[in-house]
Amino acid sequence: MQTPRSHYLPRTRPGRIATIAFIAAMALAQPPIVHGLMNRTEPLILGTPFLFAYLLLVYFLGIAVLIWALRKGV
Amino acid sequence: MEPWVVSTSLIFIYLIATIVIGVLANRKGTSSMEDFFLYGRQAGIIVLYLTVVATFHSAFAFLGSGGFFFTHGIGFWMAGTWTVLVGAITYTLGTRIWALGKKFGYITPADLIADFYESEAVRVIVALVSVVFTLIYIQVQAQGLGYILSVATGDRISFELASFILLVVAAAYLMVGGLRAVYWTDVIQGIWMYIAVWAGSLLLTYKLFGGPVELWRRLMAERPDLLSLPGPEGFFTPGMWVGMTIALSFGIIFQPHMMIRYFTAASGRTLKILGATTPIYLMTLFIPAAFVGLGGALILPDLASPDRVFPELLFQYAPPWLTGLILAGATAAAMSTLDSILHSNMTVLTRDVYQRYIAKDRSQGHYLVFGRCVVGVLLLVGFYLTVSQLDFLVTLVTLSGAGALQLMPAVLGVCYPGRRLNTATGVVAGILAGLVTLYLTRVQFPQPLGIHEALWSLAVNFAVTIVVSRFTRLPSQATVERIHGEVERFVYDR
Repeated sequence: MQTPRSHYLPRTRPGRIATIAFIAAMALAQPPIVHGLMNRTEPLILGTPFLFAYLLLVYFLGIAVLIWALRKGV
Repeated sequence: MEPWVVSTSLIFIYLIATIVIGVLANRKGTSSMEDFFLYGRQAGIIVLYLTVVATFHSAFAFLGSGGFFFTHGIGFWMAGTWTVLVGAITYTLGTRIWALGKKFGYITPADLIADFYESEAVRVIVALVSVVFTLIYIQVQAQGLGYILSVATGDRISFELASFILLVVAAAYLMVGGLRAVYWTDVIQGIWMYIAVWAGSLLLTYKLFGGPVELWRRLMAERPDLLSLPGPEGFFTPGMWVGMTIALSFGIIFQPHMMIRYFTAASGRTLKILGATTPIYLMTLFIPAAFVGLGGALILPDLASPDRVFPELLFQYAPPWLTGLILAGATAAAMSTLDSILHSNMTVLTRDVYQRYIAKDRSQGHYLVFGRCVVGVLLLVGFYLTVSQLDFLVTLVTLSGAGALQLMPAVLGVCYPGRRLNTATGVVAGILAGLVTLYLTRVQFPQPLGIHEALWSLAVNFAVTIVVSRFTRLPSQATVERIHGEVERFVYDR
């Protein structure tokens, strides 16, 4: 058997979508976004400071990507 | 009935229950090494889910995280980032580790890594990193346990005796029932700690503030510095944020007690479900911690030790029965991590040291007896470390978070076929360079440029591994084809 091709880049379309979506979700929860644009308390989201609610939403977005990948068999 | 009586009674009922579970696990199990060390590689999703989350969240989830919110504010909500990343790592990397373990019979991380790099030096250094950096966690968890029990009893049981009792109980059910006992107790512990943190937090939030919304409103009015980055003390800089994300996701996953869990899954599909769903539990546990820590900053602003914020609020404002239940949950959180670390160290020392270099080709029963003896020794070492006030331990604890992270280039080289291969010499040089850098950037010149030591050490580790691997002997073609070929078959079904 030949040594397989690189596994660092996904080969299937769902794999590429899941990888890009997850990296994007992670980037939304990292600097400079969280230390700049999202570093605020207002507007309140259901009475919760903006930064806290925003990060919660981003975390669930990341989880949603993982569940989507699971359903697609990635 | 006095609060301390309720608290202490509930904790001891819980401890007795864990021993009973250990005995039941012993009756169910067989005398094979795979069963004792790896749950027979048949852990289903419910058991695996709860043992992974219970092991991941230690006493820190109960005590330390509230303290972090108390001191540094909303920045600690970044914890959600690393919990989601842990899910992705389990999904992509954990499944590969499982597939290779099942195919080639690996039991420890050193088995996996040394087989690919064909090197005893790699085996030894991986085993050393595995043991040294997690041995320290025995001390950390035992100290947390001792503290919880002595607080729950109103200092009627000393910190030292409390640590010893809880170490003995964890070691006892591990020696009796092996990993099966650890997993079964983790099921209870995982459920209990989640309910306890949420129940305690919500009760305090509604009783003290009238609910989370009112808590947020008061924070904005009285302590707005807690609601923005980098926090009151400037801790959560961008460099610390990224560094902690890496250190507390990859760094924990590469610790042996987490990697060994991957070997125990019943199937690759089980691990994928685990990866996709564990972040829900892991991340949402920090929401009540935020309520406790931030609320505590308003109610107990002069608290000397922020880690005490949760128990202090409970004793002052919660009914005794609930305080007891929650402190038993805190005990569960610490014990579920402690027993897993004891187990992983037992497994590494038995498999990678004793079986490999001291007593080859003995019966499986012989190795099980040795493993149980190792647990006894670890118990004594752990207790000594717990009650000792050694300066070097403080240093080691600060390094431990990013210690296991140094295995990352080696593990990725095994599990991810790429254009270039790592070599044994490259991996060893990388790990050593990473550890030296970790020491320098944590202890000698703490966090240069405000960047977390995990990033510095990992960058140096990767660079050295790649450069040295260019000039040293590659693993044999047969081994690369055998192992990377198996990864290819597993991932792409070819």
